[in-house]
Amino acid sequence: MTWRVGLQLALSGLSVGSIYAIIALALAIPFKASRVLNFAQGELVTLGAYIGLVLTSYGLPYAAMVPATLIIAAAFGLVLERLFIRPIIGAPEFTLVIATFAIGLIIRALIRIHWQDNNFFLPAPYAGPALPIGPLRVNPSYLVIIGTTAVLVCLLVLFFQRTKLGKAMRAAAVNQTGARLMGIRIGTVFGSAWALAAALGALAGLLLAPVVGINPELGQLVVKALVAAVIGGFGSLGGAVFGGLLLGVLETYAGAFFGAALKEIIPFALLIAFLLVRPQGLWGTALVRV
Amino acid sequence: MSAGNWLFSAFAICLALAMPPFAAHAAQQGLTADTITIGAFGPITGPAAYIGLAGRDGAALAIKEVNDAGGINGRKLNMIFEDDGHSPAKALAAVKKLVDDDKVFALFNVAGSNGTIGTIDYVKENGLVMFVSFASAPAVTWPFAKNLFRGGTTEVPRYGELYAEYIVDGLKAQKIAILSGREEYPKNEGDALTKQLQKWYGIAPVKRAEFNIGDKDFTPQLLELQQADPQVIAFFGNPAEAAIALRQAKELGINQRFFVGTTMVDQGILTAAGPAAEGISGFALIPLLPNSSDPAMKAWHAKWTAAYPGLPPNRPNIFDVLSYADMYVLATAMRDAGKDLTTGSLIDALEHLHDYRIGPIASPRSFSRVHHIGNLRLQPMQVKNGEWVQVPWESKRPSDILERYH
Repeated sequence: MTWRVGLQLALSGLSVGSIYAIIALALAIPFKASRVLNFAQGELVTLGAYIGLVLTSYGLPYAAMVPATLIIAAAFGLVLERLFIRPIIGAPEFTLVIATFAIGLIIRALIRIHWQDNNFFLPAPYAGPALPIGPLRVNPSYLVIIGTTAVLVCLLVLFFQRTKLGKAMRAAAVNQTGARLMGIRIGTVFGSAWALAAALGALAGLLLAPVVGINPELGQLVVKALVAAVIGGFGSLGGAVFGGLLLGVLETYAGAFFGAALKEIIPFALLIAFLLVRPQGLWGTALVRV
Repeated sequence: MSAGNWLFSAFAICLALAMPPFAAHAAQQGLTADTITIGAFGPITGPAAYIGLAGRDGAALAIKEVNDAGGINGRKLNMIFEDDGHSPAKALAAVKKLVDDDKVFALFNVAGSNGTIGTIDYVKENGLVMFVSFASAPAVTWPFAKNLFRGGTTEVPRYGELYAEYIVDGLKAQKIAILSGREEYPKNEGDALTKQLQKWYGIAPVKRAEFNIGDKDFTPQLLELQQADPQVIAFFGNPAEAAIALRQAKELGINQRFFVGTTMVDQGILTAAGPAAEGISGFALIPLLPNSSDPAMKAWHAKWTAAYPGLPPNRPNIFDVLSYADMYVLATAMRDAGKDLTTGSLIDALEHLHDYRIGPIASPRSFSRVHHIGNLRLQPMQVKNGEWVQVPWESKRPSDILERYH
């Protein structure tokens, strides 16, 4: 393998990993806030792409379609949390996981009823011929995906460190009772976390759609995002991003060195390895049960 | 014999004479006095749904037309459809349900090869007619089975013959790389091309790489193939995968010619791959693609669009056309079998079909008592200026495929 091929693979891996990272973030945020692992996150990715498709079909330009999609998705996340999650928030973790899983299946089934499994395409204004950058040829879509992830991480850092709501979410993540005693409205924190996660999922859907098209299975890569979140340390936002990027790059190199069959195995082998050796992930905090 | 006995005997004879059609209905599942129930299956969910959704809709349109025109010898067609999820196990479960629970008269298969291979043994054992519209898996027609018929697509070894001849003699390529999916159909196409290149030209592919169904990134495989410096890259998989691979190939500066499998010679890949599809070639399964400006296809397209409004621009696809045409093949054979329709009479009627087609939108289908491969003809096509156009090339080598049936 030449260094040019190696770099080209790294670039491709980073773009795939960026999508994993965004979805991993969307998994980590409500988990941090409410300790609910949202197995419907993949369907929120899919839903975001379909919302974009509908808005585009009504003639909304891309620049207006993207924020409109994110707002609609956030509102949907808010409603989802208020109607289905908050009433059972005190239930055992297993019940919550099954509930989110069921919500995901319902969303996917509803999408299928209307659109079936037909493939749709969502054009993006930035899609175009590859750009020559030094010895590399770079897909503008990849640059947008990687760039959006970088900007997103910066915005999330600012949000959690500078804004009142962000600080409230961090406080609730550390100690819900303490946060409540300090006057933080936990319900608002939960709702905001789910709204943010749904919007992030929709963003991932909008970034993916021009590259791979839209169908009800689009959100299936949530499984890979879950692996990324575990590698990074569940609940750690930086860890989720790092885990996603690492997984994307590893997967791409695994495909190049070991072929398509092993490429699918690598993420899950890595997951098992982390769960055995460092279950808290790279940046997670180990909890000791006493 | 007393007069009473004579009367009784005469009544009994009359009753017996009147009975055969009724007895045949009772013995033949899926038939009533006014209905013929057909069991259909194919993938309508998952990455191969473009096959099954189109297969279901094309067949349903044909059935509606047949029924509106009065049905078949006084009976209306009724189709029960099951999703096979593109899985051999699910396809077998679907077929068992259709045969054992729904008691269908015959099976209409709009599955891919992956689903189809799971059903072959059961259907052979069961004996009902299974008309396979799309699947190119050799096991459908070889070894020969009396109750299995192949419609629009041909056997994958025939693909291998045509692909090898076109790539080597038509595209004048000696260094050929193959990128194929790991599931049944694309793997079979890759294997058939490899085998035929070796057999007819003594050429081995310079590189072969594989991918998984539903993959979204082909960079590793494309870079691997690029390093082998092929003249032509043959891609076998689904259109969605091909579109991504073609775009990524252009991004990576891979300017070699791409040859694609039959499922990709359709409008969908042009929509999905855009300018990256320019120059690719392949064989069409039907004489006119759904977006053709030919009046016959335009009329059919208008009819289809009226029946299924609101579907994406890549529908109808070639599978809508194939299943529509093949349902007419099956319906015509049922009509030819007469009022006394049985599995045996249907097989007999199908074996007597020669060069039958519903119109210019379909290739002619012929069956015989020694082979059930309806169609051996494919049309070479190439993308020029964003459209599929016919390539003036004809196969000169005689096919070996039908020889084994003699």
